[in-house]
Amino acid sequence: MKRMRVAILQIEGTNCEEESYIAFEEMGQDVEYVHLNLLKKRKKSLEDYDLLFIPGGFSAGDYVRAGAIFAARLKAISMGDLKKFVDEGKIVMGVCNGFQVLIELGLLPGVDGISDRPEAALMINDSNRFECRWTYLRKEKNNIFTREVPEVISLPVAHAEGKFLTDNKTLEKIKENEQIIFRYVKPDGSKAVYPWNPNGSIEDIAALTNVYGNVLGIMPHPERAFFPHQHPDWMRKERTHGDGYYIFKSIVEGKIKY
Amino acid sequence: MRLKEITSKVYEIDILNASNEELMEINDALGLALSLEEMQKLQGFFQSMGRNPTDIEIHAIAQGWSEHCSYKSSKPVLRKYIFGIPSKHALIVMQDDAGVVEFDENYAYVFKIESHNHPSAVEPYGGAATGVGGIIRDILNMGAKPIALVDPLFFGPLEYPYEKLNPGIKHPRYLMQGVIAGIRDYGNRVGIPTVAGITYFHEDFVNNILVNAGCLGIVRKDKIVRSIVDKPGLKFVMVGGRTGRDGIHGVNFASKILTEKSEEEKQAVQLGNPIIKEPLIHAVLEANDAGIIRGMKDLGGGGLGSVIGEMCHAGGVGAEVHLDKVLLKEKDMAPWEIWVSESQERMLLAIEEKDIPKIKEICEKWDIEMSVIGQSVEGGYLDIYWHNERIVHLPLEFVTAGVEYDRPFKIKKTEKMQEIPLEPKNYRNVLLSLLKSPNIGSKEWIIRQYDHEVQGKTVIKPLQGVIGYEAHGDAAVIKPLKNSWKGLALTTVANPQIGKIDPYMGALYTVDEAVRNLVAVGARPHSFSDGLNFGNPEREEIMGEFHESCRGLGEAARFLGIPYVSGNVSFYNEAFGKNIPPTPILMAVGIVEDIRRAITSDLKEEGNPIYIVGETKEEMGGSEYYRLIGAKSTAVPMVNLQNLKDRMEELLEAINRGLILSCHDITHGGLAVSIAEMSIGGNIGAEIDLANIGFTRADFKLFSESPTRWVCEVKRGKEKEFEKIVKGKRIGTVEGETLKIRDGNRWLFNIHVNILRESWRDALRRYFE
Repeated sequence: MKRMRVAILQIEGTNCEEESYIAFEEMGQDVEYVHLNLLKKRKKSLEDYDLLFIPGGFSAGDYVRAGAIFAARLKAISMGDLKKFVDEGKIVMGVCNGFQVLIELGLLPGVDGISDRPEAALMINDSNRFECRWTYLRKEKNNIFTREVPEVISLPVAHAEGKFLTDNKTLEKIKENEQIIFRYVKPDGSKAVYPWNPNGSIEDIAALTNVYGNVLGIMPHPERAFFPHQHPDWMRKERTHGDGYYIFKSIVEGKIKY
Repeated sequence: MRLKEITSKVYEIDILNASNEELMEINDALGLALSLEEMQKLQGFFQSMGRNPTDIEIHAIAQGWSEHCSYKSSKPVLRKYIFGIPSKHALIVMQDDAGVVEFDENYAYVFKIESHNHPSAVEPYGGAATGVGGIIRDILNMGAKPIALVDPLFFGPLEYPYEKLNPGIKHPRYLMQGVIAGIRDYGNRVGIPTVAGITYFHEDFVNNILVNAGCLGIVRKDKIVRSIVDKPGLKFVMVGGRTGRDGIHGVNFASKILTEKSEEEKQAVQLGNPIIKEPLIHAVLEANDAGIIRGMKDLGGGGLGSVIGEMCHAGGVGAEVHLDKVLLKEKDMAPWEIWVSESQERMLLAIEEKDIPKIKEICEKWDIEMSVIGQSVEGGYLDIYWHNERIVHLPLEFVTAGVEYDRPFKIKKTEKMQEIPLEPKNYRNVLLSLLKSPNIGSKEWIIRQYDHEVQGKTVIKPLQGVIGYEAHGDAAVIKPLKNSWKGLALTTVANPQIGKIDPYMGALYTVDEAVRNLVAVGARPHSFSDGLNFGNPEREEIMGEFHESCRGLGEAARFLGIPYVSGNVSFYNEAFGKNIPPTPILMAVGIVEDIRRAITSDLKEEGNPIYIVGETKEEMGGSEYYRLIGAKSTAVPMVNLQNLKDRMEELLEAINRGLILSCHDITHGGLAVSIAEMSIGGNIGAEIDLANIGFTRADFKLFSESPTRWVCEVKRGKEKEFEKIVKGKRIGTVEGETLKIRDGNRWLFNIHVNILRESWRDALRRYFE
């Protein structure tokens, strides 16, 4: 099987790159860290990769708005390449801060393709503070990111700004296009309330793709639940893999068609 | 003070002809915080040199002599009790900025705890954040990757009346929120999980809060870097943040007592920037991987002055420094300010000239500024230049050697007494009140604001139990290496209320609790870092407390064979005539041979038997129960080190054999609180009968804080095997949805787990939500 070339994008303040790297490495893919400066200086080029992964963290300190500075710099340096990347059907995945970046870039929710301006936002949590906790997620759709994923999985969130918000029209389109990939739920799979929905996200949205299904934004961290012992309940529930593993597995196995 | 400008922004100070009065005037004018004797020593030195010093020379020396840098009051005592506990595993002990201990054949772990009390009292957000930043650099400069943070914090009571606050003292609630936000924003942004800590409230800390921060790192043994420059010709490369006026005289500030004027010393508080630090970590580790770092030290307390002096002195070389090459935040800084500035996010690397292009390339990739500011030279002199003019010429020996004092001390004797209050009529209310008290209740509000999952290595979390119902654990466990099941357990402990009555016993109890916590998750205690927080050492009774605490810490650790590999002393925690109680804080590390055998504190399964391990006694001094009911006692818990060692070995054996499913140590609030927490986390009840514990009154059995005790949930069917290994007594069974406790035939209470949880969660939440 041809291996995927995975770029894990970095700037100052991205800080989940190591877990992400390990996840792709464990899946047997060609993964490398690509600092934004290397794109800027044309030492690396997006077109050499099959998958662009934007990890979590606090890019550039998140001092303006989460993800905004990272997105602005990425836009300035390689928006053209990035558009081409997405149009070619290559995969873009943003976790946590990476999700925030994808929204700032207009790649998500992307109900009609890439938008010039952000059409949604990840707002400050209803609790008004950073929260690190484990959540339950229900798979809403089978696609390239979820084919191998069980119906309900458990992943950790760690963010202050994760409440997905958009206008009614966009939300209707998101639903119509079946772009919602994961919803926060209670442990039994029923409708979530706080803290099961940790941030107050509308429709309990935890993850969504663009309309074409090749760009994923997800608030919880699959790369922090790759191995069984990363789960808090490993003494209570036996697993052969962490729940996050199945997302990476889906991507890698779904990729065969390229 | 007589002075003359000898070159731009450099003054020669007339010290040779100064009277005592004038010496103290110079001391005040330059903000040195030295004593008259020290000023006289300084004068004597320059008399022997036959010349007057420059202002920067005086600053350089004063900085080296500050309590913070020289440990002048503590060193003789530390040497007597704390240093030199033999260990097969300790690799670098009490030498560089952090201790280094063997983890396995190829790797070592690196850790240290440090105080940041004074700055946090004045500017809680910035003070706490830079406390975290500083301790991270201490780990980084050993070449290690930082993998976990801990943060023990001590504040006044949250409901403390505003009108009772002394002038300039900020309210505990304000301080706590600022400190927690500072730790959160820094730790989360640099991507290091905060996995353990303490939040403790008491009137004793209204005037002086304590903010300690610890960091743990991991390094391949062949990549350990020392803070030593051992040959001439190495270039001094400063990397990271620029140098500014923030943090000037931080160490001198830390060596004074707080007053209402402390607010004016805000400039002594450094400003941190995690978004410089984060790539700095990457860049330093990348340069270390490339094998080009010959020596490294972070610029913390004392700034460039301490760093260059100590690194070169340790390696037996001299130093030549060009201060005009240092990158500045503010253009018009004087050389002395540059020399002593404690601006954050800076590291000094010693690099071979041929490797300069490589370090440049790495810094460019990570968008980090660097400059070459000097080099090591033959001889033992520190020569500093300012636009090619020499402004300092001093023997390094004199600058770094510092001073030492055998300060007089007095050991206080406390008469043993204990009131015996009436037995409570309503045990239910006592337990719920304890659960709701801030020292015992849930710290979830704090813990969840820290990212304790980043890096994906936290295999035992700070909150333990069924997802969404978790309670406190005793220690966190990190699995540092992808291809090894070996883990590192981490905990922090301190017991100021016991120490206040008896510093020696308080210290023993603290070691006891550290061991308990580590053993409770299945870790073998391996090494300690000591954060020693005390009052004003110029007071005999405070030095007495320091002696007694160190004696206790040393004796206990020596008996157990656990070394102190790093540490920090914070004196002068005095304000308005009040000193903090002796507060030695331990950051303790244990080894988990196989993390798949580690256990947590939450009850697991209905039908399993529950045991108590250890002796319960009527020793209520310093207990939360007596504090709650307002009863007096100076009968503090007595630690028997042999018992501790025996129980530790027994429990580790039983855990290793998989006989124990959950374990929690018994501490603040006693047995009742421990079982309640186990129930809360497991979201399951228990039925307990106290009769087996002995003949004391039920409230002592429930709320005594006797040392060396644990509660264990044993796997059903393994009772015999467990009893053969561990000296424990069966006291109940996991069952139902309520916690039911009786003493023989007498039922004390029956409380639903949800009610326990709500009371427990209310402890902090009610103040902040």
